Amino acid sequence: MKLLKKIVPFLLVVFVGIQFIPTKRNQSTEVLESDFSKTFTVPANIQNMFEKSCYDCHSNNTNYPWYNKIQPISWLLENHIKEGKKEFNFSEFGAYSKRKQKNKLKSLASQIRDNEMPMQSYTLIHSDAKLSDSDKEQIIVWVNKLRDSL
Amino acid sequence: MKKSIYVLALSVLFFTACKTDKKQAESNSMQQSEMNMKEADGHDHGDHDHDTAMGEDSSKEDRNIDATTQKNSATSAIIDSYLQIKNALVEDSKDGAAKGGTMMLTAFADFDMSQLNESQHKEYMEILEDAKEQAEHIVKSPIDHQREHFENLSVDVNDLIALLGTDKTLYQSKCPMAGEGKGAIWLSEYKEIKNPFFGSKMISCGSVEKQIN
Repeated sequence: MKLLKKIVPFLLVVFVGIQFIPTKRNQSTEVLESDFSKTFTVPANIQNMFEKSCYDCHSNNTNYPWYNKIQPISWLLENHIKEGKKEFNFSEFGAYSKRKQKNKLKSLASQIRDNEMPMQSYTLIHSDAKLSDSDKEQIIVWVNKLRDSL
Repeated sequence: MKKSIYVLALSVLFFTACKTDKKQAESNSMQQSEMNMKEADGHDHGDHDHDTAMGEDSSKEDRNIDATTQKNSATSAIIDSYLQIKNALVEDSKDGAAKGGTMMLTAFADFDMSQLNESQHKEYMEILEDAKEQAEHIVKSPIDHQREHFENLSVDVNDLIALLGTDKTLYQSKCPMAGEGKGAIWLSEYKEIKNPFFGSKMISCGSVEKQIN
């Protein structure tokens, strides 16, 4: 009990303390020339789905939830975004080599087909990011067609 | 003011600490992969004596367009690691493929780019970037993902050979059922069909399309 009395204030101090540590925010108002939507002619409904379901972690502009400002959630999100962008960045897609574009499109389609993306932990909170079966079908058909044309 | 300095100091400390951790992990995995390389070399049919060959090749200025006849052993370590992945996938071995992926990352890291001329360099960099990514995924993925990445990797290695050549005899085979029914190629050191895309499920699916060397 005595120990608990010491630990709780300590944790509280740590919790407050870490709130001061700045995180890098992934936000940009500029849509780069290399953005996916400028590289290809993307039907509006498809681009809309990408922006809703993918862009938060796979582009240079995240639409942050309010709780992002609280540590250690900020770190968690920052990490997810870093990983996501490393894997595949819609904002820089046009700058990729043809080889990379093709392979990324292939992975995009297979990740969606296998329900690996968007991640469950993400759609749990962002219910509008969920893709229906017909959404998925539309994306996969379109992406495959695009890949064949490259 | 003082407070913000503390905060700054703390955060700097935190991030540098993170970075060193990462670096250490990286160098550890490098060592690991070097060990793997040696281990694999032991019972490999390897004839990669590429130090001497590199010297020979650097005197060659022009790129031989018909790379299938271009003898170049500088690509041997990369091809060996590719074949290790291929053979592991034939045997449905996820761990073996992952080991091959690590071997490949080492092989690319050890590749001497100074022998490339300007026109080769650009394409090499594109292949390198892509192949490295495929290899990284093969290291950490379940087997069905490994196979998906192996499809891309096969194209990369095939293009690498077209670009730089090899002194190995290889067979380019095609499985019409892989690549989601579009067909996909792979390379093998033997003529007999042993399918890496499906392994034991469809071991003899495919046919040889081309012999290299």
